[in-house]
Amino acid sequence: MKLEVKEIKKSFGDIEVLHGITFEVESGIALGLLGRNGAGKTTTIRILMDVFKANAGQILLDGIAFDRKKHQIGYLPEERGLYPKKTVQEQIIYLAMLRGMKKKEAVQNAKKWLERLEVDQYWNRKLETLSKGNQQKVQLASTLVCDPEIVILDEPFSGLDPVNAQILKDVVRELIQHKKIVIFSSHQMSYVEEFCDDIAIINHGEIVLKGDLQEIKREYGRHLYILNAENYAVAELKEKCEKELDSYMTVQDMKKEFLVLKLREDIRREDFLEAVLHTDIVIDVFGNYKPSLNDIFVAKVGDDASEGGKK
Amino acid sequence: MKQFTTVLKFELTNYIKNKTYMLTTILMAVILGAMMFLPHFIDMGNDTDTPAKIEQSAQQEDLDQSSEENESVDFQETKYMIFDPDQIIDNTLLKVYFPGIAWQKAENDQQVRKAIENKEAKAGFCVEAQNQFTYYILNKDMDNNDPAVFTKLLGVIKQMEYCKQKKLNFEEVTQIFQFENEVQHKEEILGKDMMSNYFYCYIFVILIFMMIIMYGAMIATSVTTEKSNRSIEVLVTSTSANSLIFGKVIAGAIAGICQMGIILGSILISYQINRTGWNGMLDQYLNIPENVLIIFALFGIGGYLFYAFLYGAVGALVSKTEDINKSAGGLQMIIMIVYFVVLAQLSNVDGIVMKIASFLPFSSYSAMFTRAAMGAVELWEVIVSFLILAASVVVAGLIGAKIYRMGTLRYGNPIKFSQALKDIFRKE
Repeated sequence: MKLEVKEIKKSFGDIEVLHGITFEVESGIALGLLGRNGAGKTTTIRILMDVFKANAGQILLDGIAFDRKKHQIGYLPEERGLYPKKTVQEQIIYLAMLRGMKKKEAVQNAKKWLERLEVDQYWNRKLETLSKGNQQKVQLASTLVCDPEIVILDEPFSGLDPVNAQILKDVVRELIQHKKIVIFSSHQMSYVEEFCDDIAIINHGEIVLKGDLQEIKREYGRHLYILNAENYAVAELKEKCEKELDSYMTVQDMKKEFLVLKLREDIRREDFLEAVLHTDIVIDVFGNYKPSLNDIFVAKVGDDASEGGKK
Repeated sequence: MKQFTTVLKFELTNYIKNKTYMLTTILMAVILGAMMFLPHFIDMGNDTDTPAKIEQSAQQEDLDQSSEENESVDFQETKYMIFDPDQIIDNTLLKVYFPGIAWQKAENDQQVRKAIENKEAKAGFCVEAQNQFTYYILNKDMDNNDPAVFTKLLGVIKQMEYCKQKKLNFEEVTQIFQFENEVQHKEEILGKDMMSNYFYCYIFVILIFMMIIMYGAMIATSVTTEKSNRSIEVLVTSTSANSLIFGKVIAGAIAGICQMGIILGSILISYQINRTGWNGMLDQYLNIPENVLIIFALFGIGGYLFYAFLYGAVGALVSKTEDINKSAGGLQMIIMIVYFVVLAQLSNVDGIVMKIASFLPFSSYSAMFTRAAMGAVELWEVIVSFLILAASVVVAGLIGAKIYRMGTLRYGNPIKFSQALKDIFRKE
């Protein structure tokens, strides 16, 4: 299956918040839908979920107009919320039945997922009596209870301890293995890097970067190198490089462990290394720079930051 | 439809599992139903102004006279003072007119006043002349009619004195002057008896007002709670907003109708069983004609649904339950105005105000019912009014669902109802 979001536009009143969002995601390949707060991720997801109607654009599933009512979607919203006064089983079965399941099937699936997420012992407990992490797992069980073809997980790892996070990681991997369409939205970039083959970064209602994550990383790392010295701290090394090697390179970034350098035009890495050898710098590490998703994200959407996130 | 049924069942289960709802329903039905069986334990025929009472009163007079002869003292007697310097009052008559009172003569009016102030006596009379007296009491009860009784007593004394002077037989004269007691009449009301319908109309207007306010607030709270605990996002992405709001409102309606039906049913059935025991005392409240009950049910349910949808929409406009009153203020104001206007116009149900109110969907649930029960209303008027109400319920439902859908995912400051209306009609 292939879900395509094409040129989606959405306005609230006179303000257009989505200016033509386009991305696609295929079965068995998780898409990381990224963006800063207020970028338009949730609005895009709500249009997918048919909560909002798009003003323009289309959503296709295998080339045919996507009818949300004909497909099961498991959506875990960022803002968690179930009925605190209801028992775990009551609310999961209710939500499953709302999505069209028969009661018997809903009960079976609810038991299966609670067991898989290791919270089946809370079957008859009121939600408010569970810890935050267990409530989160119950919410995830309610998301998956209807055996969805499309799974949208918005910040699924927030509030989970490392053990529960591992359980969830395994579940997400299983979903990908079972050829589900997985859309994964998170600000915890390490998780996105772990699961997602493709990413789409939204900024101010526009897709500013999308594609295969590894290719994007390669592209962003091209002509960039890392350098660390045995005899200089990173800050000192930066000063040294800018003073003595300025004609060969520019310092792009200063990380905790190394400098990120960009060689000037027509300068080969061999020329640069030769120049370094003529200084008193004792090279500890030199190599190709592989940017993290976090670096790419900050580079892409961090400039117009107004509420943090900038390094 | 299936999703609507699922929401309906879920919401109904919430009501059934709500201890307050169940206890209120059961206890009210049992207690009020049991009260209708009171005639089995208490004589209900002694407080009416019927010929039976007059006869009983006469018997009481005989009893009092005989008890006076025996001079037996009633330990429960209330003490009254009397200052009668000219000996105008006949002691025997005083006992007849004030049964159960122990009279103590006073030397002057100051003694009467002092005894009452010191709580040695409950009340007192100072008889200044045959047509003049002063009544003293410390705190006067709502139902105190001592001065009226005493005035009557003075009248009787004057009549007796007159008969004696003119050598007339007092009993015969009295009988002639009380001839109206022997007059019998039949009454055939060919239309409606406003007097007898007034009381249950009054009760039903209050009842439907209470239901709308109470269950409307419950529906609004239910919607806002889902918004504040954020379960709304899961719900609106799992099913349609229409299923959710219609399920909630209809469940609230069923719960309200069941509660009211059980309580009213318990009272009415118990009363019908014990009607003879009550001597028909509660007929004006509880012996309600079937057609009136049907019209009440139809218009009551219609009005209730109309406002319930609007309450559901109003609940979606706020994010916190404490803000519901702000948002629902306008709606409550309309309901209150309808309530007061209908109550104020109960004695003029065929007036122009009630005629207009009985066709407006905001007020017809109450106004048309009272017109049908007490006034002159044509069948076509009832049908047209009901059709307007039914259409308005559908419109309110659709608008309510649209506002619900629009408002459920908008957090922050309460959205004004007028703004919400503008937003839903704005082309997306």
